[in-house]
Amino acid sequence: MTYKVTDEGDTSTVFLDGEIDMDKTEGAKEVIFPLIDAGKNVNLNLSNVQYMDSSGISVLIESHQKALEKGTKLIVKDVSKSVLKVIMMAKLEQILNLE
Amino acid sequence: MNTEVADPTNLSEKKDFLVRSSSLKDVRSFSREVFEKFKIDENLREELVLAIAEAAQNIVKHAYKDYPDTQDRMAVRISCTGKELEIAFFDKGKPVEESKVKHRPIDDVKPGGLGTFFIQEIMDSIKFKEGDKPWINNLVLTKKL
Repeated sequence: MTYKVTDEGDTSTVFLDGEIDMDKTEGAKEVIFPLIDAGKNVNLNLSNVQYMDSSGISVLIESHQKALEKGTKLIVKDVSKSVLKVIMMAKLEQILNLE
Repeated sequence: MNTEVADPTNLSEKKDFLVRSSSLKDVRSFSREVFEKFKIDENLREELVLAIAEAAQNIVKHAYKDYPDTQDRMAVRISCTGKELEIAFFDKGKPVEESKVKHRPIDDVKPGGLGTFFIQEIMDSIKFKEGDKPWINNLVLTKKL
């Protein structure tokens, strides 16, 4: 997994890449969580993530809940069809902020 | 990768992997190669890959929870009769206590506890068996095609 972060005002956009599984989740958290802790709104761009398993879904849930706790917002953007299928299987499409 | 049976209506392939989270990508690659070879419906392939990867992940996370540096290997066997797909997992980790294998309530949204739910959603049956020596655990998943 590779990632890129861009900043605009109080919003950071994190572009993740590749396949997100148990082996990659710590890396994803290390990028996303400090931004939320710093009070940033986070756009998580998943357009280049073609596979995500339950560990990756857990990162989305944890990030979403952390943002709520901190009074910021996590938006999950440009989700690929294959990842959306997994999000829907987990019945999270009404919980997460998807755009 | 070893093809055990050449008959196109009764195919079986098996491969073993080091029990590590870093092996999960190899498990997925193996599964995708086999599904391509078995000509499994493309619409089914990625969800089957997810079920297989979740089961392999459970071996790493639970059967080998206390042994992150193990040199043990787990094996995955994918068999297809034409009408049914059978996916078998073999490991030498801690014996599975079937009564403890459950997913979290799906409406109780919190991190974790989804892998088994995904497997149940995707597959038609899940059976835990004792493995024949040298294996300890043998999980068998089936899906009608």
